[in-house]
Amino acid sequence: MPGAMNSATPDLPYFLKALKSRDVEPCIELLADLLKRRQIRTPRLCALATTHLLRRVLADFRGANADELLLRIRSVGRRLIAATPREMVVGNMVRRVLALIREVAEGAILGSDRSVSDEGLDGDSERDGDSEAEKQESRNHSPVRHRPNLSSGISTFSPLKHGATEPASMVPPKAEGELPGTYTPLPIRPSLQTALTQVSTIAPTAQQMFGLFTQPEIDDDPSGVDSPALQSVKSSGRPENFTEVPLKDIKAEVLESVREILDELESVDQEIALYALDHIHADEIILTYTASLTVQNFLLTAARKRKFTVIHVEGYPNESASTVTTIFGGRPQEFNEELELADEPFKPLTAAGITVIMIPDAAVFALMSRVNKVILATHTVLANGGLVAAAGAGNIVKAAKVHQTPVVVLSGVYKLSPIYPFDNDELIEWGDAGVVERYSDQEIVQKLKVFNPLYDYITPDLIDLYITNLGGHAPSYLYKIVMDHYDIKDVNLED
Amino acid sequence: MAKKPAAAADKGRKPAKTEEREELLQAVILADSFETRFTPFTLERPRCLLPLANVPLIEYTLEFLANAKVDEVYVYCAAHTEQVEEYIHKSKWSTTTPKSLSPFKSLELIRSTSRSMGDAMRDLDKRDILTNDFIVVYGDVIANIAMQPALDAHRARREKDKNAIMTMVLREAELGHRTRAMGVEPIWMIDPSKNRVLHYEQITGDPDHIARVEPEVLDCPELIVHTDLIDCGIDICTPDALALWSDNFDFQAPRRNYLYSVLKDYDLNGKTIHTHIINQGYAARVRNLRTYDAVTRDVLERWAYPICPDTNLLRSQSYRYQRGCMYKEQNVMLARTCVVGRHSVLGEGTRIGDGSVVESSVLGRKCEVGKNVTIENSFIWGDVVIGDGSVIRRAVIANGVVIGKGCTILPGALLSYGVRIADGVIVRAERRITTTKRRRHDEDSAPAEKGSPDAEIVGRNGDGFEYHDSEDEDEDLPGLKGTGLVYSDATFAVSIDSISSFNDFDDEESDLEDRPKRTRSAGSSFLSIASDDSHDAGMARDFHHEAANSLLDGLQRGDLAANMALELSALRLSTNASEHQVRRAVVSAFMKRIVQLVEGGGSIAQTAKEVLTPCESLISRTMFDRGDESSEKPDQHDFLLLLQQDLSHRKDGDLIFLHVLKNLVALDVVEAEGALQWFEDEKSREGDDMLRIREKATELVEYLNEEESSGEEESEEDED
Repeated sequence: MPGAMNSATPDLPYFLKALKSRDVEPCIELLADLLKRRQIRTPRLCALATTHLLRRVLADFRGANADELLLRIRSVGRRLIAATPREMVVGNMVRRVLALIREVAEGAILGSDRSVSDEGLDGDSERDGDSEAEKQESRNHSPVRHRPNLSSGISTFSPLKHGATEPASMVPPKAEGELPGTYTPLPIRPSLQTALTQVSTIAPTAQQMFGLFTQPEIDDDPSGVDSPALQSVKSSGRPENFTEVPLKDIKAEVLESVREILDELESVDQEIALYALDHIHADEIILTYTASLTVQNFLLTAARKRKFTVIHVEGYPNESASTVTTIFGGRPQEFNEELELADEPFKPLTAAGITVIMIPDAAVFALMSRVNKVILATHTVLANGGLVAAAGAGNIVKAAKVHQTPVVVLSGVYKLSPIYPFDNDELIEWGDAGVVERYSDQEIVQKLKVFNPLYDYITPDLIDLYITNLGGHAPSYLYKIVMDHYDIKDVNLED
Repeated sequence: MAKKPAAAADKGRKPAKTEEREELLQAVILADSFETRFTPFTLERPRCLLPLANVPLIEYTLEFLANAKVDEVYVYCAAHTEQVEEYIHKSKWSTTTPKSLSPFKSLELIRSTSRSMGDAMRDLDKRDILTNDFIVVYGDVIANIAMQPALDAHRARREKDKNAIMTMVLREAELGHRTRAMGVEPIWMIDPSKNRVLHYEQITGDPDHIARVEPEVLDCPELIVHTDLIDCGIDICTPDALALWSDNFDFQAPRRNYLYSVLKDYDLNGKTIHTHIINQGYAARVRNLRTYDAVTRDVLERWAYPICPDTNLLRSQSYRYQRGCMYKEQNVMLARTCVVGRHSVLGEGTRIGDGSVVESSVLGRKCEVGKNVTIENSFIWGDVVIGDGSVIRRAVIANGVVIGKGCTILPGALLSYGVRIADGVIVRAERRITTTKRRRHDEDSAPAEKGSPDAEIVGRNGDGFEYHDSEDEDEDLPGLKGTGLVYSDATFAVSIDSISSFNDFDDEESDLEDRPKRTRSAGSSFLSIASDDSHDAGMARDFHHEAANSLLDGLQRGDLAANMALELSALRLSTNASEHQVRRAVVSAFMKRIVQLVEGGGSIAQTAKEVLTPCESLISRTMFDRGDESSEKPDQHDFLLLLQQDLSHRKDGDLIFLHVLKNLVALDVVEAEGALQWFEDEKSREGDDMLRIREKATELVEYLNEEESSGEEESEEDED
């Protein structure tokens, strides 16, 4: 209900202000209420609010050890997730913070063993020596990486990597064909190319789920990515609990890492936009859907160097208002807060000399044959490479599939969720019927049942490429990023 | 930019950033609406705690206020204050504990003994707690709209013109919309340039109704006449608006009296009232059972998104919106063969047996539904047991009800808390069954009394009896047709015209309506009531209410008759009430007093004498034909008729009547001719109750008659 819920109601700035002045408990309640009332709505705002809150919870926590801290964060996370189960970034942020704590705590345990961690560091540098994407990642993670004890923490994720890479070696190499053949050749960094080929061979979900929920044994045939040094660390096993780790040892470090997540959230659009020139070429016709700052930034970056045409799909009824505003250079309500945080002026595409054509939703199929590339923003990305995006996106990607048009999804890593879509119905939020039909019409209200799904679930096979702030990935590769950012122990937050 | 001042306002002590005044936003929730639309449920629970889609109504209202960033909330309670207090204290809204999680800075309960909205507003004015512009809502408002635009508009108007005292938030909705209050349709005449209301009137569907518009209203260059607005009961008022309530002590209803009169007296007081019409978002009030049904549907069909069950407004709830458009909590056990239709709500711990069908109904927590049960369009609040093979259609079933096997609950039935229906009983349509006797207004503190079960209605081993509106409420009955649950049946199908002829007299009416008694006894056409001029009728009701109450107070205090008489005549002059109305008020007050004393254990004869004797002068002053030469005694006749009507539905009415009449004659307030004329009147024989009283009095009247004739003879002799 974008019209009625305007900025006059409590929102993110309001929450952040409250966070400074009130106790933790009321703040948790406040955020849960704001999420419930959908007053903090877009994924990024939700992620920011959640992370700010968790940082406050961390700072105020007065427990004895790391285990207690984990429990505390989990319980706060449960409350937030219960408030808005379909806004998955909330869960993502909670799980990322949990993984951070684990990482830091493991580091603290293993920290005494200098040699191991040094080896870990070597392994790391060896591993990501080549790729730009990895550099991106390492930039993102740099403070983490360069702390010796932390890098060993990361290395402890490796069993999972193996769990996932294992199938790669089992599947016959028809995989090459599965790399989107229709896809316009991208200037992908070599290493990424290998990652793509390697991982896209994995059979869909079943295998990956296997990898998620079991603690795989050490693999005797790690396919090249990991250095032997890492294996040695990993074979030492992961500590089961952190009751031994005093809170004071890790608190400062965890807080620092959480602050880095916040930095990431703020810079994510710019980072994604860095890849724009690799993907958008001169005189292309780009089709996009929904008003999204990420896409807007991406296209604007490309527009600095190249001329192309953008077809913007209207997205009635939920997206149309903000779409029209964006095209005409206004700032849609949804952008206001984000822009305020980023402290950046909003520039419409047309001001950069780009032709923008708005088309009704029904014209998508007809125009798809002329489109070179579909660039979508998303609500959430799931661990299997599927995505939950604004209702209507499903229609577009299906049309793109028929016309062999590549579909590129732009999404910050924060939108990537470790959740698998076991029940697609559960992912869909049903919105306000009042934006579809007029509530004031008595016959409609009396005689019609109006449904307004806000999201579509899109299966991974319909997506060709994800561009995150870490680089471009095939849908089937996403599980690896999931592994890097989350801990499987935290996928299920229920006790 | 609107955000900043608002956010700052919320911080309270922050220095002002803009010129706009930074002040705390206050709100008043009128938790009691001073109506009886939800009896018999409201006998035991306050209305604002009745559940809608398994969430108490007041939660929605508080949610709405929290959404509007209100800082201070005052909950104004009249009935069942303890329960409201307890609920709020335990809820997340409470601000009493230092570690409160409430979004409000303060949340205070105001206890009061007000009997009408007017009293409540005057009381609020007296308390002098509302210093800024504030929001007034009822405790049954459900809305997802943002208040800020309305508040901004209101404040902007206030800057320019101090006389803009009120802004009403109205939602567009066509005539005949299910969420509108049926029966009385308000007409708004609005000057669109300033959103100012120029004229307001409620029409009752009477084809002859003519809106009397002041000629000045038509001078306005542009005028929009709206009939398509839902009055959501959300007002932004200024303290001046409260003062106006105090100035006009006779106002009872916020719209029909207050709004109407303030607009009419624009020349006098110069105050203007404005509207804020919204066509986006949801706002409605649960005024009566019919809107209860409609609003529930709106919520379940997600018109009020994000206010829907799966938002889990209550923290303890765990609703999820699932395949088949069903809202389900955890631990719901559905038999394999049962069918749960669209837009149903199933609370935690509910179990539904094999072969049962639940269609668009709301089931609360821990409901046990047996096998092969059919539940359609019903509201079942929780802890209800429904036996195998029962059929429930369009009914409201409160907590703790037990329905036996093979029962049929027909549309419109209301089963209140703890009712037990024995196996195989058919509960007739629109029947209201309760286990609790109605409490008298003046005994609010007394615990609810349990009535004895009526086996004819609930079967053997059942519990509960049919609830009858007592004298105060019976005037509501015709209105109930339009306000009850059943509306899509035959009555509804006719046409909108005929629907609106059910005179609802709107929600804000007080209980007392000066309506001819024949409507009840004879059940004659409702149209006859509808033709009353609603405004005059309203004034009359107000008069009756005021007068009867003040007299009763006086009697209880033992005031001097002369003082009471003075008060009464002042009131009569101020409202221009007729003598008939005065008599009616007097009768009603005195009889209430007598009944009170009798119930308190006094003997009827003694009480009647004690009450009536000191007030002889007061009573006699209501009849002006005493000692008249003419043999016609219309006033006394009328008085007795009113007396009879009043007592006809009171306990021991016949005996009281006899003694009162005896005393009146003894005091020479009523003359023998008057009594005779009453006795011979056809009207005194209408209905069983009336007849019973008449019979009892037969002897006395005959005695009087004899005396009369002998007296006449005597006087004739004297003259000779």
